[in-house]
Amino acid sequence: MDMFTIILIFLLFSFSEHPEDLKLDKDLELPSSTSKGEYQETIKIVLSQKELRLNDKVMATVQGRQITGLANDDLENSSLFHGLKAFRIESEKPENGQEPPTHVLFLCDKSHSFQTINRVIKTAGLAGYPNFQFAVLEE
Amino acid sequence: MARLGRIRAQSEEDTELNMVPIMNMFMVLIPFLLMSASFYQIKAINTSVPVHADTYVDNPSNHEKEKITVVLQLKEKEIRISGLSETPNDLFLSDLKTVISRQSDSEASMDELVDFLRALKSRYPASDTLILIPDEEVLYREIVQTMDNARDYETERLFPNIVLSGSLG
Repeated sequence: MDMFTIILIFLLFSFSEHPEDLKLDKDLELPSSTSKGEYQETIKIVLSQKELRLNDKVMATVQGRQITGLANDDLENSSLFHGLKAFRIESEKPENGQEPPTHVLFLCDKSHSFQTINRVIKTAGLAGYPNFQFAVLEE
Repeated sequence: MARLGRIRAQSEEDTELNMVPIMNMFMVLIPFLLMSASFYQIKAINTSVPVHADTYVDNPSNHEKEKITVVLQLKEKEIRISGLSETPNDLFLSDLKTVISRQSDSEASMDELVDFLRALKSRYPASDTLILIPDEEVLYREIVQTMDNARDYETERLFPNIVLSGSLG
């Protein structure tokens, strides 16, 4: 009985409104932050230590600071740009009947440099998504 | 005497709680809570990249109403802060420039940054925008840490609208 009570209290403290929405990979370590803002599940860009994904679809691989297929001078020819553009066109169709998303949820490994991140956020900006939500772990 | 003992034992038996329904309830609650449990809490920081805009404030009468945009350059060894006025005749506010030396993960430089931003905020309370320009070498976790410090101090809101920009040139 005592054991059950302890488990129950522990689980009550771990209770989350959306527990299964975001799954973090082993090669993705989010930075911690004091932010209390809630994220909204929308278009999701994941930049882990090994790959770049758009809504769980692999767009490019990451090797150190380099993202293959995402050259700084040719961002508009990248698969990420085309993927975002296609998503935007699709979401803006009137028959969808939903408000098109205005921002991108960005999950990025904390060890990446701004040089690497900047290419991703620039590409999203060029594709018509200049607003971001950076996913972080609550401190 | 023996009868008295039997009666006492019987009454003790009667007062014992039946734990089976409570245990059943726990057995139902625990799987439900396990499914809803989250062992890490994910939060979000709102930010944006620069977009072209043609908005200017005409002739603000005083600092109370005047809005400035803080420009924070996050470099490997220092933090450079400057202010941009939204009035066209006084675009660069020369008296708002400062340089804070920093080492990676240094709390002291962040404390100094917060003090400066708090002073700016008290001087221009209507301002809420900060442009963060990190160097290419700066790590993402350092960018998030700087955003945290620029956004608020305890319960005091500083510059919650943070625009992330690459350096020019």
